[in-house]
Amino acid sequence: MKLLKNAKILDVPIIGDIVVSAGRTFLGIALGLIASGILIAITGVNPFVAYAALIKGAFGNAQAMSNVLVRASPLLLGGIAVSLGIKAGVWNTGIEGYMYLGAIGAAMVGVLDLGLPPVVHILLCFVCAAVFAGIWGAIPGYLRAYKGVNEVTSTIMLNYIAIYLTSWVVSNFSLLAQTDAFYPMSKQFLPSALLPILMPGSSLHPGPFIGIILCIVFYFVLNYTPFGFRTKMLGANPFAARYSGTNSNKQIMIIIIIGAVIGGFSGAVEVMGLKHRVFMDFVTGVGYESVAVALLAGGSPIGVVFSALFFAALKAGGATMSIETGVASSMSSIIIAMCMLFVIGVGVVDSHRLKKVVDTSKYDEADEIAEAPKGKVEK
Amino acid sequence: MSFDIIVDWLQAALRWAAPLILVSIGEVYSERSGVINMGIEGIMLFGALSGVAVAFYTQSLLLALLITIVVGAILGLAVAYLTVSRRTNQVVTGLMINMVALGATDMIFALLSATRKARVATFPTIFPESMHNIPVIGKLLFAQPVSTWIALILPFIAGYILYKTKWGLNVRAVGDNPKAAATAGLSVIHIKYQTVILSGIFAAVGGCALTLGEVGYFSAGGMAAGRGFIVMAACVVAGWDPVRTALICIAFGAADTAQLRFQSITTVVPYQFLQMLPYIITIIALTIMVKRSRVPKTWGAPYDPKDV
Repeated sequence: MKLLKNAKILDVPIIGDIVVSAGRTFLGIALGLIASGILIAITGVNPFVAYAALIKGAFGNAQAMSNVLVRASPLLLGGIAVSLGIKAGVWNTGIEGYMYLGAIGAAMVGVLDLGLPPVVHILLCFVCAAVFAGIWGAIPGYLRAYKGVNEVTSTIMLNYIAIYLTSWVVSNFSLLAQTDAFYPMSKQFLPSALLPILMPGSSLHPGPFIGIILCIVFYFVLNYTPFGFRTKMLGANPFAARYSGTNSNKQIMIIIIIGAVIGGFSGAVEVMGLKHRVFMDFVTGVGYESVAVALLAGGSPIGVVFSALFFAALKAGGATMSIETGVASSMSSIIIAMCMLFVIGVGVVDSHRLKKVVDTSKYDEADEIAEAPKGKVEK
Repeated sequence: MSFDIIVDWLQAALRWAAPLILVSIGEVYSERSGVINMGIEGIMLFGALSGVAVAFYTQSLLLALLITIVVGAILGLAVAYLTVSRRTNQVVTGLMINMVALGATDMIFALLSATRKARVATFPTIFPESMHNIPVIGKLLFAQPVSTWIALILPFIAGYILYKTKWGLNVRAVGDNPKAAATAGLSVIHIKYQTVILSGIFAAVGGCALTLGEVGYFSAGGMAAGRGFIVMAACVVAGWDPVRTALICIAFGAADTAQLRFQSITTVVPYQFLQMLPYIITIIALTIMVKRSRVPKTWGAPYDPKDV
């Protein structure tokens, strides 16, 4: 408490907030890394060696960094989809389902020889992915907006349904399923439907850059358009939003569908850029990870870029760590979740406490000054 | 002949529903006090693993159950600390607990390599063999493992406690109007801690019933398969009443075991579509019932004792 009062930088209005929230975030991440380190030590591996392997695996050379970018692609797209929901006050946890549907949609045209030039074929795949995932997202969107069904439960149920649907598509659906495969999978995408490789010798596809561009686009959409204003108002104060004439049901449904379409793109990018086929468990855990990305970013689109890259580095480095030191391969997702638990755990009460400090001691005058011009305008 | 199939099916339905019912008892209490414990899916996984692991190393089912209760209580305490004391978002907290659980149970399972292929003894039946041969009810009830019996009896006790005892009244008061409860001298925070820890314990025991009540082994990669979320849906559908929630769980069990039986007799419908059924039914049931349920008034909202 005393420390907070004495720290001058915290008293500066906007910068103080940023410092506090950034400080809380980094403290949370640090605590999460320490807790995970203890876990690693319990499994019998020196945590410093393990983390060194992790850092080497993420940033050791160009190959490693391209690997980080490839892993960032679904996290960027999933993160922005969840963030958009958070801004409107909904938890769009169905990213995995949307990815499966997007992948199926892309495969519907991607495996067919339509005689199209590459660019057109790729665009057609994306359109198809958007339609499939959008229709899928309309189900939880409609149920949440008009029937009041909690979107977390419905989207997670739909994720399981999507997994079984994919299982059927890749094993029994004659249009897509590869016959005589050793493992149920779809036919291979035609070369004209594959995304280009940007760095020779790696698997770097344009996916991460599509993700970053979408994050920037949604930064502007949220901050500078009526649509974005309505979305943020809905999340901040649903009653005010309704009172001011926003059709909140429609807005919620649209937000969930947009999230679904982005999720569909993400699935399409994965299969067209990396896997080249659809199979049953090509997206494990991305749903939860996307929620973590959006949370760490505090729902901010620009923040998503950084948090997605951070988690992608953890995942890519985690794979190396697992190979080199024998830590379990699921360690990276444990680290991510631990960091997030500490970040949210450190967060709420401290901000509350800080508000109290600011309110009672120093900002009574400042508030009056800030309010004065408003009153004049109204007169 | 066909009658046998029905009895067989209902018996499987009860056995399948038992873990869900156990999980739902704790979740009803926690949600009645205003805290949605979304981490039950993950806590189930921990319970399922700890049950199998302890049973494998000690050969004692009782010890396995006790350790599982401790594990559930610790995880419930973690959820309670975050959601009640730190007032974190309950959805996010639950999802992250699930994510930790998914990774951690896989990791621990890989470490205990001896348990990998091991099958352990499952919960015994409590009635003598001779009673299993009584027509219909012998198979339906007396041949059930003890975990099913506990799951069938506990909802009534839970209902009695919730509606007829002082503590149950306190729980409902805390969920519906925490300020009034606090004014009346109750410790809202304490009661929320108690219910959330209870939900952790029951979720772990439910997970344990999943492995030790039925299959006898643990499988990596999220063997709870969304059951935690199905339980949460059942709570909503049943209006947070322990007995009715148990009935809904049995209905889900009947649906899931029915689809398993259809898989073996029909080839017209691909089996994947039958596997979707429990999830589809959950969504439909939620859609029909959600507006009719009486929601605990501060459901999912954090409680700040300083807000007056």
